[in-house]
Amino acid sequence: MATYLLRKVLYAILVLVGVIAVTFFIRPPGDPARVLLGQRADEASLRALREQLGLDKPLVVQMGYYMVNLAQGDMGRSIATGRSVKETIIERVPATALLACTSMAIATILGIVLGLIAAWKPNSWTDTLTMSMSLLGISLPAFVVGLLLVLLFGVMLEWFPNSGYVDRGAEYLILPMITLAIRPMAIIARVTRSSMLDVLGQDYVRTARAKGLNDFTVYTKHALRNALNPVVTTVSAWFAGLLAGTYFIEYIFSWPGVGLTAFNAIEKLDFPVIQGTVLLTAVVFVVVNVFADLLYAYIDPKVRLN
Amino acid sequence: MSKSVKGQEGGESLWGVAWRRLRKNPGAIFGMTVLIVMIVMAVAAPLITPFDPTTQILEYAVKPAGFRGSVLLKKNPSDEGHPSIVAVTTWEQRGDTVYYTDPAGQPYKVAVASLHGETKDDWHEQPLFLLGTDRFGRDMFSRLVYGMRVSLSVGLIAESIALSIGILLGSMAGYFRGWIDDVIMWLVNVVWSFPTILLVIAFSVILGKGYWQTFVAIGLSSWVDIARIVRGQFFSIREQEYVEATRALGFGSMRTIFRHMLPNAAGPIIVLSTAGFATAIIAEASLSFIGLGVQPPTPSWGQMIKDGYGYIALGTNWGMTVFPSIAMALAVLALNLFGDGLRDALDPKTTQR
Repeated sequence: MATYLLRKVLYAILVLVGVIAVTFFIRPPGDPARVLLGQRADEASLRALREQLGLDKPLVVQMGYYMVNLAQGDMGRSIATGRSVKETIIERVPATALLACTSMAIATILGIVLGLIAAWKPNSWTDTLTMSMSLLGISLPAFVVGLLLVLLFGVMLEWFPNSGYVDRGAEYLILPMITLAIRPMAIIARVTRSSMLDVLGQDYVRTARAKGLNDFTVYTKHALRNALNPVVTTVSAWFAGLLAGTYFIEYIFSWPGVGLTAFNAIEKLDFPVIQGTVLLTAVVFVVVNVFADLLYAYIDPKVRLN
Repeated sequence: MSKSVKGQEGGESLWGVAWRRLRKNPGAIFGMTVLIVMIVMAVAAPLITPFDPTTQILEYAVKPAGFRGSVLLKKNPSDEGHPSIVAVTTWEQRGDTVYYTDPAGQPYKVAVASLHGETKDDWHEQPLFLLGTDRFGRDMFSRLVYGMRVSLSVGLIAESIALSIGILLGSMAGYFRGWIDDVIMWLVNVVWSFPTILLVIAFSVILGKGYWQTFVAIGLSSWVDIARIVRGQFFSIREQEYVEATRALGFGSMRTIFRHMLPNAAGPIIVLSTAGFATAIIAEASLSFIGLGVQPPTPSWGQMIKDGYGYIALGTNWGMTVFPSIAMALAVLALNLFGDGLRDALDPKTTQR
């Protein structure tokens, strides 16, 4: 188990190096100094800024600086505000964490429940209905779902507020949370269903039934645990997708999180901030995946031996 | 060699069996029909749309679905084919002059000679705005159909780029294994660490805004799943006798990979491509929603949705957001249904479901 863990962590670090190299290249085409100072800047100040930012050095050296600075926790400064990117992002993390974690929790629980309902009687009307709904959920990007929910529940029915943060009341969390949860929920439901159907066809499930155990016990104790592995993979893989979804959802609902910061930065091509938010999302994904691998190994002993 | 694969027992090819299964799947047939209709509409866009997608009639801004206008067509000296359009509330022809009032109530007059065409049927029209207009008074239906062109071509071209990269890297990793596999899988894992839409955004920032940049950005971001599937397929295909036979015959690696192994991995690749096509459509819409991607005045569904977003909070004219949303959902749903049907049809393990 320890070597398994170590191998996973070392590989994750190797992947992180690649991730950082990719984020380094996120900058608008052309001369960043000109982007910073504008079209009318004179040649002398451009040269001074290039020198100051190390832009006159070869790309490899620049990337070296970028990595060294990152290792010291320095992510550069925002072009638009001049503030440190690290501070700009960190103060927005709690809002995004609240939104992302509650959404993922709802998506996971409801997704698994819906998947189980669908797999209970394959090809029945409950199965068809759940799977059709989930197909619809997969077919709509999060920002479209968000706008439609705002239109229906915010503007027409006036049940929930259109936009704003929870500091004004818990009801402000409802719409963005549901919006963000729909896509992962639909996918988790589909994965749970097909995984359950696979497992229910196995010999040991037939044995359990033949022993005279009732359906419910077989379903929960024997089948579900073995069907969970693909679900864990899906949940961990979708967590990053959900974080990417916050870029749009936080904008639509004026939710003051990392995603809103990123959205505004993209509109202004404020590339140090874009680099920071993209890097944060990728790092979260890599870390979540290491934990998922551990959970995987815990649920299924076969994985550890591999 | 590849010819003998076709003639299986019973005389029916793999594709024949797949088509027979696909035909029995109502979801897949629905998806296919919607896709065909959309492709025909996109190709025939100039024939079926009443307006050019960039024609603005500012007097008719933000009109609801089903709005019928009343316009005079004036000769356009700079462009014979596109007369300039003037919105009117009332109009009357006296002799060789037409007197009219604009929607603001201002009276004007114009000589018949400077109007477009011969008779009053030529220069006066009552166009129907089937889905209403946007904030510049542009016809939503026309923009939706032209936006379909953008979405479908993004899907097609981006997916072709993704397929080329994915197949090349995946087959190399699966065929050669060893350090080549390690390096390619490292790259796959690095790219996989970014959610697709973030990678698309990143590439768009790097490449700049525009039509072609969008294709390339989406293509470069979505090859990972294909590479993984191809690699996995090659791992198992490589162990089969006919691959050993190609080696015994002294065929080169490239010939073995592309002539003999790849056709046998075609099923999963095709299924994944339909899903990728749908993802590309969503990615393009998301990009233009942020303001990257295809730039105005070229119509794009994401842009239209964002334009309408400003009016949602006001509670007026929700059609501006809802119609492009429905169009996109329909396209993606059709692709998903068709892809699901293909997966079941091409999978030899599935019996009738």
